[in-house]
Amino acid sequence: MGLVYAILAMGIFISLRVLNIPDLTTEGSFGVGAIFGGIVGVSVHPFVSIPIALLSGACAGFITGFLQTKLRVHPVLAGIITMNMLYSVNLLLIHVATERLKGLKNTNLPFGKSAIFRMALDKLGLSSSSMSAVYVKSAILLAFVAIILLLLVLFFSTNTGLAIRATGNNADMVRAFSINVDRTKILGLCISNALVALSGTMCAQLSGYTDLNLNNGTLIRGLAAVILGCAIIRGGGILRGLIASVFGALIYQLLVAVVVRYQIFGANSSDMKSITLATVMALVLAAPAIRESFIRKKGGKDHAGN
Amino acid sequence: MLEINGICKTFAPGTVNQKVALQNLSLTVKDDDFITVIGSNGAGKSTLFNAICGTFFPDSGSVVLDGKDITYEKEHRRARKIGRVFQDPMRGTAPDMTIEENLALAYTRSRVNPFAPALNTKNRALFREYAARFDMGLEDRMKTRVGLLSGGQRQVVTLLMCTMVTPRLLLLDEHTAALDPATAQKIMEITKQVVAENSIPTLMITHNISQALTTGTRTVMMDSGSIMFETGGEDRARMSVEDLLAKYKENKRETLEDDRILLS
Ligand SMILES: Nc1ncnc2c1ncn2[C@@H]1O[C@H](COP(=O)(O)OP(=O)(O)OP(=O)(O)O)[C@@H](O)[C@H]1O
Ligand SMILES: [Mg+2]
Repeated sequence: MGLVYAILAMGIFISLRVLNIPDLTTEGSFGVGAIFGGIVGVSVHPFVSIPIALLSGACAGFITGFLQTKLRVHPVLAGIITMNMLYSVNLLLIHVATERLKGLKNTNLPFGKSAIFRMALDKLGLSSSSMSAVYVKSAILLAFVAIILLLLVLFFSTNTGLAIRATGNNADMVRAFSINVDRTKILGLCISNALVALSGTMCAQLSGYTDLNLNNGTLIRGLAAVILGCAIIRGGGILRGLIASVFGALIYQLLVAVVVRYQIFGANSSDMKSITLATVMALVLAAPAIRESFIRKKGGKDHAGN
Repeated sequence: MLEINGICKTFAPGTVNQKVALQNLSLTVKDDDFITVIGSNGAGKSTLFNAICGTFFPDSGSVVLDGKDITYEKEHRRARKIGRVFQDPMRGTAPDMTIEENLALAYTRSRVNPFAPALNTKNRALFREYAARFDMGLEDRMKTRVGLLSGGQRQVVTLLMCTMVTPRLLLLDEHTAALDPATAQKIMEITKQVVAENSIPTLMITHNISQALTTGTRTVMMDSGSIMFETGGEDRARMSVEDLLAKYKENKRETLEDDRILLS
């Protein structure tokens, strides 16, 4: 599951760190990836859900980008508008789909045997509950993450990729070099949300069902992963940043697992996990400031001693 | 050739903050012109550059570059032909990207394939060669993040970026103001050299009056949004800093008296 969120984290890294835009579309595009991608996966073919998810996520990014640039809506509001729009779309989609496929209105649609992971396991003749099944799933996801990472690094070294990076860095300057800043922003948001939606559809495939609640908390989870990762692996560069995001996602998932597993907060640990993680994150973010104040105190003592 | 025909710009019209920034300003920059622009703080010099670059559209008048009316053309479109070095060294470069990445971005002005790798051995060598011509040791730091450079070095990178693909018009806004005297002089030398080599029509804003008189071909003095007077050729060659200041005071007195007459 951590690897699924690694894709999410890479998407968020692009909007948050590369473009320098707080993009709240995330939750919506994750949902649309999970649901639209999921429905297509169930009714057509699980592989088709991947391009569909990428495409629908890109559309979501386009809408947000369009609102932000051409209509000059504040980036945060633009994200919220798109997110709400997508919520309605998702609700409608899941209702129609469950009615068609199962004959009743529901918000939950199981994949049955048609998820990518189930197909792979069946081919290998493994049962989905065995230990080696976990390895197979992880290997598939790891390959996915690696391919995406490679493609992104390649893309960001092209002229267009460079322009997107510079847009987040200094838009004035990009404009002065005759690059259409609106276009690079929209393109960046499309890519970011396409990845988020892909992670949504992978999440659904891995869970074996899709419903409206899969996307709960994805935004905060993704942000946490990026911030955590970038706090641990510092330094610029796209490659480093993307790797940091992937690691951040894995570490975050590990922390959640530890909290739940050892019931650090008693029986309702899973309810309390948010607050633990929020605390951890605050500490990570505050680390430089805390360290600085320590140094200052020490310096003060030295002076007093003299 | 750049022609500016009677442009006017008023900020926040109809409010208490109303500010007439440009008043019926006309100016022609011919192909072999290197015009220095002087004027007190708030005279509207940077505003003039903003109007030329399309940061805002003027209320009236027109801007024509090489025979094409660009008054209402989008900023990034006309930027293809205009190179601009900002007053603030931070504005001209992307701090989190390396020198060579910044140069590669500037190089995209020469209509490159958007999906080709931005940096390959060929253009890396090209960028190094360009950087070496400026003789600031930048060619050995191509992989340094621009944010780590000093203000002067950043301004050199900006100048490099603006002139690498020769523009049809170069706008320099006090580009040496933030630098120490030695670096400032060096950058002025580089500027003159680059402009002369590529014969780029240039407008340069400066607060250094003696520099304004000795650099370039013509000098324009701006005051409250319009051109107070201009001088060139032998007239200018004979003019000293004192002459110019005297002329400024004289003109100023005249306008003040005009106002008094109008008001009385
Ligand atoms: N966007 C704006 N909105 C309102 N007023 C503005 C705007 N831009 C410039 N002005 C005003 O126009 C006037 C001219 O400003 P400008 O920056 O052109 O001066 P300048 O000649 O470049 O001065 P300096 O030598 O200090 O750089 C100033 O009074 C300024 O307050
Ligand atoms: Mg100015």
